[in-house]
Amino acid sequence: MKKITTLIVAFAASAIVSSSTFAAGGSDVALDKVYMNMSDKASLQNGAKLFVNYCLSCHSAEYARYNRVAEDLEIPLHRLKENLMFTTEKEGDLMKTTMPAEDAKEWFGVTPPDLTLVARVRKPDWIYTYLRAFYRDDSSPSGWNNSLFENVAMPHAMYELQGVQKLMGKVDKSEQGALDAHAAQGSDDYTIVGDAKFELVHPGKMTPAEFDTAMADLTSFLTYLGEPAQLKRKTIGVYSIAFVILLMMLCYLLKKEYWRDVH
Amino acid sequence: MAIHRHDNHKSANGFMEWMDARMPVTKVWNEHLAEYIAPKNFNFWYYFGSLAILVLVIQLVTGIFLTMHYKPDAALAFASVEYIMRDVPYGWLVRYMHSTGASAFFVVVYLHMFRGVIYGSHREPREMVWLIGCVIFVALMAEAFMGYLLPWGNMSYWGAQVIISLFDVIPFVGPALTEWIRGDFVISDATLNRFFAFHVILLPLILVALVFLHLVALHHVGSNNPDGIDIYDELDEDGKPKDGIPFHPYYTVKDLVGVCGFLILYMGVIFFFPDFGGIFLEKDNFAPANPLQTPPDIVPLWYFTPFYSILRASTTTLLTFFAYSSVVIGIAAALFTKFKAPIRIGFVAAGVIAAIVFLNSSGKAWGVILMAAAIVCFFLLPWLDRSPVKSIRYRSLPFKIALAIFILAFFILGYLGMNAPTPIKTLLAQVCTCIYFAFFVLMPWFTSIGKTKPLPTRVTMKEEH
Amino acid sequence: MAENHVSDASVQIADEKSVEDIKRRRFITGLTAGFGAVGGAVAVTPFVLSMSPSERAKNAGAPVQYDYSKIQNGQMVKVEWRGKPVVLLKRTPEMMEGLNIISDELADVGSEASIQPDYAKNDTRSDPAKPDLLVMEGVCTHLGCSPVEKLAIGPDPQMGDDSQGGFFCPCHGSKFDLAGRVYKNVPATTNMPVPPFKFVDNLIVIGEDDGRA
Repeated sequence: MKKITTLIVAFAASAIVSSSTFAAGGSDVALDKVYMNMSDKASLQNGAKLFVNYCLSCHSAEYARYNRVAEDLEIPLHRLKENLMFTTEKEGDLMKTTMPAEDAKEWFGVTPPDLTLVARVRKPDWIYTYLRAFYRDDSSPSGWNNSLFENVAMPHAMYELQGVQKLMGKVDKSEQGALDAHAAQGSDDYTIVGDAKFELVHPGKMTPAEFDTAMADLTSFLTYLGEPAQLKRKTIGVYSIAFVILLMMLCYLLKKEYWRDVH
Repeated sequence: MAIHRHDNHKSANGFMEWMDARMPVTKVWNEHLAEYIAPKNFNFWYYFGSLAILVLVIQLVTGIFLTMHYKPDAALAFASVEYIMRDVPYGWLVRYMHSTGASAFFVVVYLHMFRGVIYGSHREPREMVWLIGCVIFVALMAEAFMGYLLPWGNMSYWGAQVIISLFDVIPFVGPALTEWIRGDFVISDATLNRFFAFHVILLPLILVALVFLHLVALHHVGSNNPDGIDIYDELDEDGKPKDGIPFHPYYTVKDLVGVCGFLILYMGVIFFFPDFGGIFLEKDNFAPANPLQTPPDIVPLWYFTPFYSILRASTTTLLTFFAYSSVVIGIAAALFTKFKAPIRIGFVAAGVIAAIVFLNSSGKAWGVILMAAAIVCFFLLPWLDRSPVKSIRYRSLPFKIALAIFILAFFILGYLGMNAPTPIKTLLAQVCTCIYFAFFVLMPWFTSIGKTKPLPTRVTMKEEH
Repeated sequence: MAENHVSDASVQIADEKSVEDIKRRRFITGLTAGFGAVGGAVAVTPFVLSMSPSERAKNAGAPVQYDYSKIQNGQMVKVEWRGKPVVLLKRTPEMMEGLNIISDELADVGSEASIQPDYAKNDTRSDPAKPDLLVMEGVCTHLGCSPVEKLAIGPDPQMGDDSQGGFFCPCHGSKFDLAGRVYKNVPATTNMPVPPFKFVDNLIVIGEDDGRA
């Protein structure tokens, strides 16, 4: 009996582990790991600023409200109104784009998707890689392409920050180690994003390192935006579980007490 | 040695006296808790019955509160779920309790069923308890399936699309039936609205009624125990079972410990891994339903995946194998059983006819039939199991081996159902499907062979004190 | 523990226990029950709170702004706030004088039983900084109808022959003066409520007063 129980527990555990890797998108796509810290308010605030300035003109975040973002990210209301909002909006309004959906469809061929939940559909690593993987491609209608999301309709919204990249080719997994070592030496003749190798043909306002940090901030913000409750749910969780553990000890003593009767 | 406490209560409490004369409150309390005699040797596996009731209550309560904010309208449903997650105070907590509760329900129910199988709780005289339990399981699957459409995410939409299309294979009426179920030519607002009605009214009522009947039947025949022996065989001079104890307070306090343990795990998921790596809340379901874009992998929630695997495993290969095995089983039954000659010839004929049917029908139809059969098998368990003993503690080795292989196959099927099919995975699923059905088909045989251990006259307990 | 049980039945009954045993059992039962009750109360909280106004409702009920400098002397406008008509009335000097004339006929002259911020708890029921501007929820305190304005001073079929102007509720005939104060002997018993408000430049913000007294 014990053996069967152990066996089942082992299988359940391994099934969960393997299927969650699957569900997390553990496929062959090469993604760069993003380092996020949800308690770093400065990083989230910077991400919010980038989001409003570069994303919100075409994409909406129509399930999120400005004042909630301000409150969660500790952005003072006056700064919110001055920097992040359109003048006609109330601070409690939903973050809708100013661009009419029909216009967007005409310009890009598709309606830019709402971004409130993008971090729950795509994983943070995907977003972080995607945002950095735009390159110049004169054959595409927008003049841009993306090595992670081939022939995406979206142009490079932040090229003035990143500069203009040229695709040098895809990187084999076998080369990866050598390239990483090369990159670690601080070489700047090329960068690796996901499985693509890029040359920076025209520098932007930010250095590649600054741009990476900015995109990590933006990814953190989108992750926050996907589930605002995550900022406090873990804290509530710690207290709740601590309480139940205490209650469980008492219940165990109670059970022991009553079961003295049973022989 | 009789328990007089409630009698004292009666005389001490004028209100209860007044009440008991009009409504049998004390009587019901005594019959089902204070004087319901349960075997004293319940172990870990016996927590899951009361936990299932706890989860049912959690689902009902959280469901009521979600209904206050949810909009069953194809244009509004997705946004209303996000409204709950963001704008409603603590809406996220209520929603995570409900979504995690759905998975917790199946965890608890699967373990509860497993307990029944290993200790023979489905055996005579508890067949009705088991049958009602199986109906609860089916109702629960319907409840979960319909609930999963409500967030109106892309996986909700396509999951429902695939499952409702199963009814297409029913001869003659199939296509008309699927249209009737959907109320439209596609999954639409009409489908969402009726699923909402079933999910929040019809099925909860059915579930609560079935749970009530489950308990009525159980309390009529009494609880089984890990030794699978009848505690009423050994009575003291008062006619009470020597190994029985009143459910209340002994098992109420014991179950409280189990409840706390459950809550710790349940809260751990709610507060730290609410989507459980994409298993409890699938990532594609955070995108609104889009009839023009199928998600890359349509994967049902984990609790359906063993059955979903069986559905997908049904290809020509599997049917060919089934055809040959039915001939072999027919011949084996003719050779090795001791029935009269005409019956034995009948076995062979049945095998051959089955083979012809398997070879001449479509895989799609058989997928649906097999999936349904996989669930129906559970209903037949009390009559397939022919072992002289109930508990796995005294059963013969063949049963233990068969059960272990079955559980392994069940887990593999569940795992495969969460993954996109590849040729090798499909083959593995087919092997496991065969094992799944072989477990039930061969059960009358492997439960009646091998040597069982002698049963004790009294229940055995681990020495705790 | 008293080991004097009669048969080998499993359970010993509590009556046979020593006093300490019973005490200990009561203590731990009480302690666990107390803890459980606290946990239960905390568990109920999110459900109760989930029924309070959501962020959407709060946004819809957010303070509204109105440029009060546009209102002429003796003119009244209605502004919607939280689904209620808020009356903005700029009273003329005659209207202000009229408030004192009829004070004997009022049920709650001092607004003791009525709802208003402290800064509007006075004879004119207005902010002392702008006493002539009446800001009031135009909702009858009887059963919630919206009273009709009777701004003219002089005889009126509903308000009476010596009316100093006021509001008349068409539903059940309650009468109010131009400060929203209720007359005696009508169905309503309290004055019409004054919502919190504040002035920012030439705007009045209804629904928010930053906690001023």
